[in-house]
Amino acid sequence: MERIYSVGQVNTYIRTMFTQDFMLRRISVSGEVSNLKYHTSGHIYFSLKDVSGVISCVMFAGARRGLGFLMKNGQKVVVTGSVEVYERDGRYQLYAKKISLEGAGALYERFLALKEELEEMGMFSQQYKQPIPAYARTLGVVTAPTGAAVQDIRNIALRRNPFLQIILYPAQVQGEGAKESIVKGIETLDAMGLDVIIVGRGGGSIEDLWAFNEEEVARAIFNCTTPVISAVGHETDVTIADYAADLRAPTPSAAAELAVADVRGLLEQLALCRRRMEHALASKTEAARGRARQCRMRLSYASPESRIREKRQLLTDMERRLQEKMTDRTREYRHRFQLLAERMRGLSPLEKLCQGYSYIRDDRGRTVTSIRQTHRGSMLEIRVTDGSILARVEEIREERADGQEGTDSGGSI
Amino acid sequence: MDKKELTVEEAFELLDSVVERLEDQETPLEESFALYQRGMELLKLCNEKIDTVEKKMMQVNQNGELEEF
Repeated sequence: MERIYSVGQVNTYIRTMFTQDFMLRRISVSGEVSNLKYHTSGHIYFSLKDVSGVISCVMFAGARRGLGFLMKNGQKVVVTGSVEVYERDGRYQLYAKKISLEGAGALYERFLALKEELEEMGMFSQQYKQPIPAYARTLGVVTAPTGAAVQDIRNIALRRNPFLQIILYPAQVQGEGAKESIVKGIETLDAMGLDVIIVGRGGGSIEDLWAFNEEEVARAIFNCTTPVISAVGHETDVTIADYAADLRAPTPSAAAELAVADVRGLLEQLALCRRRMEHALASKTEAARGRARQCRMRLSYASPESRIREKRQLLTDMERRLQEKMTDRTREYRHRFQLLAERMRGLSPLEKLCQGYSYIRDDRGRTVTSIRQTHRGSMLEIRVTDGSILARVEEIREERADGQEGTDSGGSI
Repeated sequence: MDKKELTVEEAFELLDSVVERLEDQETPLEESFALYQRGMELLKLCNEKIDTVEKKMMQVNQNGELEEF
């Protein structure tokens, strides 16, 4: 009697067989993606197919690190993982640990590997980045002599600075020999001692841009003593060369903008600097002159010369006042003198004599003012204006205050 | 300082600080004269570095010589 097994027992048995199989535990399968479904849980369900058949695949959310791009139906991929049995459905599936694109995908893998390697060596380190000079007089360009890139760089560079010397190294930027040509170009231009070098090309497929992902090119950029600006493809294309360069420009046009200073702006800035300096110095000098003038004035006020002048002025003033006072006084005294003289003249006995009065003295020189001072026979001296008369008293008459006359002894003069 | 060693960039930076110092009211006159002279030298240097002669674009030919592009 044959033994009868349950479904579960069979599935478990098969699962165990799969698990024990060394090859199925780690296997890489290539095929085209179909029935792709990104589940909300984070798991990805899809099928791999080729001309001969189909295999179900799942990548669990926990293994998502093994997928570096967005999968799409129809992509040719290589899935690495294990083939195991899903007991419930009695199906086997490929449990994906890692998914990579075939072809371009492999290149991307190489890109990542090289990037990691060079990064670990420090070739992308910020400390080795050279500053791009603010004002470049000479610009080296390593790119294809044909194509838009070189024209874009030339147009923009010369528009910003028509006095710029551009030196092109016409390089082969894709295909066999491209990396050697680019390396030679970098080395040749570096030896010329230019101010800055642009290395790049226009857009293209990842294969077209591949030369800029080569280690030799990265090394040449890293070793270049002239600052290097990389400009490969479009904004979204990032190459190893970009990491190694001192500065990455998203496009060749942008590289020209970054490499070349706007010379008109620079010249204007210089002119402005000159004006500011001249103005600053002029106003300073003027201020200093003003202060000097002020000091000179204050000094001259304070100087002994001015004080002497002041004193001299004072002296002259006093002299004048003294003079005036003297004149006034003199005039005053002269006036008083005249008045007095006038009065004196009125009082002068001589004047009286002139009016017919005379003055009488006795023989002893005494002034005779009364009849009592003389007597008959005495000699009297009568003074008149021009001399004196000697006379003898003949008679004396008394004249009373009441007007009656009395005769004393006769005789009259 | 050897002026020959200055880049335009450095010269510009120096020029900026010279102008600022010169415009400072507190800067003494004597120093201002020196600053002005220094500034003029830097201007001259910058102007010399920015030569204003238009040039033809050149390319390196197969013999490593320069020729017009």
